[in-house]
Amino acid sequence: MKKGLTEFAIKQPWIIIGIAVLITAFFAMQFPKIIIDTDPENMLPADEPARLFDHQVKEDFSLYDFIAVGVVDDKNAFTPDILNRVYNIVSEIEDIEGIIVEDILAPSTVDDIKQGAGGSIVIETLMGDEIETQEEADYIFDRIMMNPLLKGKLASEDRKVIAFFIPIESKDMSHRISGEITEITNKYKGNEKLHIAGLPIAEDSFGSEMFSQMALSAPAAMLIILLLLFMFFRQLKIIMAPMIVAIMSVIWAMGLLIATGHTVHIMSSMIPIFLIPISVLNSIHIISEFHDHYGKYKHKEASIRNSINTLFLPMLFTSMTTIAGFLSLTLTPIPPVQVFGIFIAFGVLVSWFLSITINPAIASLISDKTLRNFGKSSDEDEKGILAAIMNSFRNLSHKRNIAIIGVTAVIIIISSVGLSMIVVNDNPVKWFKKSHPIRIADTVMNQHLAGTYMNYLVFESEESDRMKDPEVLRYVERLQRELEKQEIVGATAGLPDIVKKVRFELFEADSAKAVLPDNQDEVAQLLFVFEMSGGDADDLFKMVTSDYDKLNLWVQLTRGDNRDVQSTVEFVSDYVAKNPTPKGVEIHWAGLPYINIVWQQKMVTGMRVSLSGAFVVVLLMMIFLFRSFKWGVISMLPLTITVMAIYAFIGYIGKPYDMPIAILSSLTLGLSVDFAIHFIQRLRAIHKETGDFNKSFHEIFEGAGRAISRNVMVIAIGFIPMMFSSLVPYITVGTFFLAIMVVSGLVTMLLLPAIVKTFSKKLLPDVKK
Amino acid sequence: MKLSKIVLLSLTLFALLSINVFAQETAEEIMKKSHMAYYYAGNDGVANVSMRIIDKKGKERIREFVMLRLDVEDGGDQKYYTYFKKPSDVSRLTFMVHKSAKGNDKRWIYVPAIDLVKQISADDKNSSFVGSDFSYEDVSGRHWSEDTHRLLYDSTWNDKAVWVIESTPKEKYKGFTRKVSYIDKETYLPYKELYFGKKDKLVKVMTSEEIKEVDGIITITHRTMKDVKKNRVTHVIFEDIDYNTGIKDEIFTERYLMNPPMEFIK
Repeated sequence: MKKGLTEFAIKQPWIIIGIAVLITAFFAMQFPKIIIDTDPENMLPADEPARLFDHQVKEDFSLYDFIAVGVVDDKNAFTPDILNRVYNIVSEIEDIEGIIVEDILAPSTVDDIKQGAGGSIVIETLMGDEIETQEEADYIFDRIMMNPLLKGKLASEDRKVIAFFIPIESKDMSHRISGEITEITNKYKGNEKLHIAGLPIAEDSFGSEMFSQMALSAPAAMLIILLLLFMFFRQLKIIMAPMIVAIMSVIWAMGLLIATGHTVHIMSSMIPIFLIPISVLNSIHIISEFHDHYGKYKHKEASIRNSINTLFLPMLFTSMTTIAGFLSLTLTPIPPVQVFGIFIAFGVLVSWFLSITINPAIASLISDKTLRNFGKSSDEDEKGILAAIMNSFRNLSHKRNIAIIGVTAVIIIISSVGLSMIVVNDNPVKWFKKSHPIRIADTVMNQHLAGTYMNYLVFESEESDRMKDPEVLRYVERLQRELEKQEIVGATAGLPDIVKKVRFELFEADSAKAVLPDNQDEVAQLLFVFEMSGGDADDLFKMVTSDYDKLNLWVQLTRGDNRDVQSTVEFVSDYVAKNPTPKGVEIHWAGLPYINIVWQQKMVTGMRVSLSGAFVVVLLMMIFLFRSFKWGVISMLPLTITVMAIYAFIGYIGKPYDMPIAILSSLTLGLSVDFAIHFIQRLRAIHKETGDFNKSFHEIFEGAGRAISRNVMVIAIGFIPMMFSSLVPYITVGTFFLAIMVVSGLVTMLLLPAIVKTFSKKLLPDVKK
Repeated sequence: MKLSKIVLLSLTLFALLSINVFAQETAEEIMKKSHMAYYYAGNDGVANVSMRIIDKKGKERIREFVMLRLDVEDGGDQKYYTYFKKPSDVSRLTFMVHKSAKGNDKRWIYVPAIDLVKQISADDKNSSFVGSDFSYEDVSGRHWSEDTHRLLYDSTWNDKAVWVIESTPKEKYKGFTRKVSYIDKETYLPYKELYFGKKDKLVKVMTSEEIKEVDGIITITHRTMKDVKKNRVTHVIFEDIDYNTGIKDEIFTERYLMNPPMEFIK
């Protein structure tokens, strides 16, 4: 089959190229059907119980995701000027499409219940109109501080921050709405600084910035790869082939993904950036071999045939292992990760197929005249840099083989310590660099206020009116106090607060009366007073259902790290274990931060299964490829050491193991075995010819060694631009490419020869011809 | 000669127009009469009211109360007294409003569980009445003089001739930016009211579901208010209506909040 295809490509290059172009055009035509989905919630299947419950809670209590806006002044944000600007900004924001106007929480929208003349109580809007004096501004600040439901939300205790909260119809509007808010706030400019924060905005903005980053970094990587290839091969026409193969593979994979009705999610948007290096790798091997062979024999067609013949098996197997690595992602129960794995696997298959057809086809189209100087570049004669590097690798692994094995053993030991130090954590806000406005907003607002991360702890009962039961309310109140002692919990708000607030105001602001009543009818009547008094009934039903069978406790966190959310969840579980909930009352969590920890847990356990599954599959493939258990195990060494070293490094520097890092383990697995396959396969092929260990050992550092080195450089350098991205996952991906290439390249070129040298008698015994 | 012709023509036209204008009631006069028919029927009134608040999922909340009304001045101040029967955990809770046609209303509430009467002042007549979709103002009426009225066109509603009138607040108002009422030409009662908010979006719809003659007075006995955005609807049904019962003014005081006038509580 291989001969047939390659022959056909050499004889009928235009037909091969024509068919490839047609199929590419077909897939490219699918692109307009693209549906973009930036909601990380879709990391969980639509029928995931935690997600369904979260939706139910949002529905039951009419809760919306919100954008938090903070107005910060270093001296005092509560001045008439700033408050009036906030007043006007909020009034203009009300006109933005997609906003839940009646639920806006701002000084100009909240009701203030207070004592009036003659023992009456007065209900009025906290900031009903623009104000003139500093006294009025101070008054507004004091009223916020006195209200347990507003304190820490609308104002910070140090007076430096005024905040308001804009509920939105759906998360995917938050990027657009935040843009419109910025437009409005720009009209009312003072010296104060304005920050826009909240998880939905981080998640949605990440989605949209991700696409522009992709549009920037994929072509940039292509360009650098092209330049590097030119440096190596000095022949523009021939190096177009890897570019064409890479672009086509990306278009086929993305086209099929779109055509099959899958949404382009945060994960799948990364497909191009993963596919480009993988597809370029094969082509570089082919061109490298072609280059070296052509340089010697000057026979184009023979050189093409030779490179495909030499490389067919290793390329097939490197592609198969990469496919296995990515297909293993389907074992992770996260739909976008599965889709990502399947379509990268498809893309790898395509790129393998295109590599062995497009490369020969293009090469055969180039005239011998054009190729006149091809194969004579300076980097491989005895004095070239590449040759020098190869020589030092050869000498080092030959003479210091025991030392290399020793050092590797030490690295493995150090790495296993590092691996145990890995901390699993994630926070979509931290997908942005520290200097990014969203990140700054998050830091500033959570520093001053009670927190922008909202979780909901829902108390449920089968019985109506159960939540009016003083026993239940007292349980909720006690839990609130305990929660508030947690460092990460900025504030809690719930039904007990409303009951106490109404009681407090009815009894002429007597603090002694701000306690929960013992009588259920009294609870009911106090809440009725709240509804009667025009105190916004909608606010009440964000904390309890109208049947009073469910109660929603708002738990505001100052940090959205999964680790912190997890600790809060565990704290409550412990508390409930020690202090059982009232009979018939159950509690469950909801809210975006909670959803994030649910999918993180699935991701971490899922990746463990995926990775170990892939490892076993790749090992079996290696044993089968080399028809040898020994060689199979040896070939796994670069992969094992690369994975261990990179993840140990992550453990040591304390970088949290997050979503991108989890996904990258499959790439690491798929890529770092490649060099070993090429190395071993070709070493054994050479040895079959030479039958002399020393000759074989010398020879492997020629063609194969050069190809591997070229690959290491092209991929490692090609993705350096990604390290300057403003999005942390992109920096991570760029760094990983570099690390995978360098580490697995070094291990392949030093450890493998050292092992081969040490056990040469068993592995590659001399044969007499 | 031409000039005189124009003058003559203009005069004739003016005369014709004037006849038309004077022959018909102005939109303002219609709305005034409607307001009187709707909110000031008789000198006083007593009724058993049941209120059903149905949310978008079909969940129902029920309130039952007795409502007493006394007109201090026709078209002017009024007094309302409400005694709650249901939900049962708030039964015996009473509520009183002294409605001021011009200024702010005064409200009092009696909370039986703590045996306390409290006066509540609120600057917002547009806030929800006991958590329903009716606002205080929907219950006691917004004075016609606060809006500019314009007759849009004549039409029919369920085969009855109606005026369709648009009312626009004279001063900026939270409740609505514009209201369109379908006023029955015979009884002056509204069949339907459409409330529009910001960007001229429909926010609330009042519908008169049932109109009956009680003690010789045509009365809306069942009306609904739908909150379009929340997709929630409140039904209000008036039963056992009595007009001109001669309720005394003293009942509308704090003392009677604590000791309800049981003769009216059926």
